Amino acid sequence: MKNVLIVDDQATIRQILSLILRDDFCLSEAVDVSSALLQMQLLKPDAIVLDIMMPGIMNGYQLCEKIKQDPALADIYVLFLTARAQVTDQEKGWAMGANAYFVKPFSPLELSRHLTHALHLN
Amino acid sequence: MANTALYDSLPPEVLQALWHSSLYGIAAINNQGFVIAVNPTFERCTGISQAEALGWTEDDFNLALLATPVRECKRVEVAVEGLHALYYLRVRAGATPQNSIAVKLQHIAEVLREPLASIYGFTELLLTQDYDKQTRTDLTSTLLNQVELMSNLINEQLDVRKINK
Repeated sequence: MKNVLIVDDQATIRQILSLILRDDFCLSEAVDVSSALLQMQLLKPDAIVLDIMMPGIMNGYQLCEKIKQDPALADIYVLFLTARAQVTDQEKGWAMGANAYFVKPFSPLELSRHLTHALHLN
Repeated sequence: MANTALYDSLPPEVLQALWHSSLYGIAAINNQGFVIAVNPTFERCTGISQAEALGWTEDDFNLALLATPVRECKRVEVAVEGLHALYYLRVRAGATPQNSIAVKLQHIAEVLREPLASIYGFTELLLTQDYDKQTRTDLTSTLLNQVELMSNLINEQLDVRKINK
């Protein structure tokens, strides 16, 4: 089973993602970038569902950039899931190397199908 | 990293005077990445008051600057206790601060999208997934809490008096 790391400070969003993804993926969760980095040291995920605005020194953009600049991590599929809906926000996400960009509110089913397809689980 | 020897050698009252009289707008970011202070020039240049800016993340801060007539903005990392970075900025000659309503509305939209995402998500799960009775009850209860949260946020964020401030 592919590993997916959910990084979001909102417990309800983590719960929704967990409910829809738990049958198809091995899940882990983090509430901010610092704990996400710790989780990634324990187990490199195949994909990250990543919020942008979170408490702490680093935000989602910075984590994505860090991942994509590290040859050992660059192949992790980064899916942004964020309330930042402006075109400039999305452009910044793509510039940081994001593989997908979902804006809240979102369809959990669509996100699940997207991840399944992206990780070639069909 | 900026050389902090100069700062250390200046008495607090001199630093205070520089902060208040600087021709540059200055914003201070703490170690947790939040705005903790802006100087009077910053308020005049941008139309953003210190009360509004306090507690913004650097991302919020940069987003807000987009709607201001800032011409130059420089970020400097500092090693002063409790501080992580300082922003220095200047405005275009002759420019006046724009009304920051657009920025506020964008911020409000982002705040409201969070509970809306939960409402959308839990509703879709309840409609499409086969959960036992207890799980359905729990999810419905959480859904209701999110509706209440959203209602409170609307009352709080969409107060016209606050938006027009």
